Amino acid sequence: MDNTIQINRDVNIIAYYFRGKDKPNCFPKRMDIDGRQITFTETGLQHPTQKGKRMVHVFDMTDGKADYRLEFDAEVLSWKLVAISDSDHAAVY
Amino acid sequence: MQLSISKEDPQIMHVDLNSCFATVEQQARPLLRGQPVGVTNRISKYCCIIAASYEAKALGIKVGMRRDEALELAPNLVMTETDPPKYHYVYKKLLNILSSYSDNVVMKSIDEGVIDFHGTRQNINKRELSEIGYEIKTRLINDVGSWMRCNVGIGPNRFLAKVAAGLHKPDGLDVINHNNLISTYKSMKLTDIHGIAERNEARLNSVGIMTPIEFLNAPSEVLRRQVFKSVCGEDWYKRLRGYEVDQHSSGITRMVGRQYVLDIRRPSDEEVRTRLSYLCETTGMKLRYRGLCARGILVHVRYANGDSWYERKMFKSTFFTNAEVYRRATLLFNKRPRHDFEREIGVSCYALTPSNMSQISLLEDINKDVWLTQAVDQVNNQYGEFTITSATSYKSKNVVKQKIPFGSTQYFELLLKSG
Repeated sequence: MDNTIQINRDVNIIAYYFRGKDKPNCFPKRMDIDGRQITFTETGLQHPTQKGKRMVHVFDMTDGKADYRLEFDAEVLSWKLVAISDSDHAAVY
Repeated sequence: MQLSISKEDPQIMHVDLNSCFATVEQQARPLLRGQPVGVTNRISKYCCIIAASYEAKALGIKVGMRRDEALELAPNLVMTETDPPKYHYVYKKLLNILSSYSDNVVMKSIDEGVIDFHGTRQNINKRELSEIGYEIKTRLINDVGSWMRCNVGIGPNRFLAKVAAGLHKPDGLDVINHNNLISTYKSMKLTDIHGIAERNEARLNSVGIMTPIEFLNAPSEVLRRQVFKSVCGEDWYKRLRGYEVDQHSSGITRMVGRQYVLDIRRPSDEEVRTRLSYLCETTGMKLRYRGLCARGILVHVRYANGDSWYERKMFKSTFFTNAEVYRRATLLFNKRPRHDFEREIGVSCYALTPSNMSQISLLEDINKDVWLTQAVDQVNNQYGEFTITSATSYKSKNVVKQKIPFGSTQYFELLLKSG
C-alpha cells in the first residue's frame, strides 16, 4: 500500500536555475530539513498549479529512496515540503 | 447501396496515452515505476480503481475493480489518489504537441486526441505519418518525462485510427489501410471493436454475425433494418470500410449536473442533505462557468437495495445561483420514498439557455441574489474555490471530491480551480 505522509513545512532548498530551450528551468538539488540534507537525483514531474490567483510550481522529486513533493511559490519565492512517499526509506526519519 | 473498402491514404492519427493517470503517477514518482499502481478518486474502503498501470493490469487488475478485490490479486498494489493538476499539465503538453502538426486537432478526452492531416500533409509536412507518429512519442518523452508512453494509430477514418491505436499496447504504432484492413479484422473479436460491447454483440449475433469479417460483409440494409434499427447501421457499414462518419461534434450542452456515490453506508438525513447541497453548489458553478441558466431540474436517488427513484420539474423562471439550485432540488428531494438508505444521489439541470445574469431585473430581490452570487464568485476566483461556501454544504467539502472528467475536458479548468 501507499505510505504517503503529509508534511506541509517550509524547507530550505538549494536549486539550480538554468535556461531551457523554451523556458527557464529549475532543479531543486538539495533540501535541508531538521539538520539533515537530502540530495535529489531526479525530477519526476514538474507542473504548475493555481491556488486562487497564485501560481505554485509543484516538483515531484526523488533521492532514490523516497519520493518527495515540493511546492515553490513563485510569488514569495518560498519552498514547501508537501509530502513524502515511501517514507519508510526516507532519510528524514 | 454497395460500397467498396476506402482506398484513401490514411490521414487520421489517433494518439492515446494508455493507463494515463497511472502512467502519470509513475512518471511523477520514480519509485512507483515497474510496480502495480491503481489510481482512485478518493481512497476509502469501497473505492474502485479508475486507472491501473500496465504492471497492475498484468496481474489481472481491471478498471472499475474494487480496492479490496484488487488487493486480493496484488497485495503489493500501490493505491494513489487522483491529482488533476498533473493530468491537466500532461493534457496541455499533449495538446501542444498535436496542435503543432495540424489545425484540425480534437481532444476526445483527457488522454486521447485525433489529428486530421487532410489539407496539411502535402503542403506542410510532406512526411510519412508513421514518422510523425514516432516523433510524437519522442516529443512526449522530452516534454513530459521518460516514463510517458503513447499508442499511435493511423487510419483513413477516426474509427480505424482508434482501432490501430489499440492493436499493440503499450507504446505501439500501427497503420491500417485498405491493404491490411481485412487481415486486421481477422485478428479481432467483435467486442474488440470500439463501440461494440455485449449488447451490440448480442444484436449482431442474433442475425448470424459472429466475427468482424462477417460484420464487414453484412449488407447495409441488414445493419440498418435488423441489427441497429436506425441510421447507426448505415454509419457502421461506412465506418468499417474506412469512410468518415464520426467527424461531427454537437458542442451543445444539454444537461449540467453532478452525482455522488455516498461515502457512508447508512447515512442520516442530514448527511445526505449536506452532500446534496454540495452537489447543487458545484452544479451552480458549472452552470455559471458555461454561461448558462436552467429551467428544469432533475434529482435522482439510488438506494442500497438497488431501487432507484427520480423526479424532474420544469419551472417558469430560469435559475443559476447555488441557492436556487439547492432550493429547487430540495423541493423534489423531499418527495423521495424513504424505504432504504441512499447509496447514490444526483442533481442535473436541463432546458439550458444562455445566462441572463447581466440583465438587471425589475425585482430587487432577484438583483440582490445575482450581485451576491457575483461577489462570492469573485472572492472564490481570487482565493480558491469554496473560500466562501454555503453552511449547509460545508461538512461535505472535505468528503466529496470532484470527479476527473474522463469523457470530456470542458470543465477541466473549473475542476482545477476547485482542486
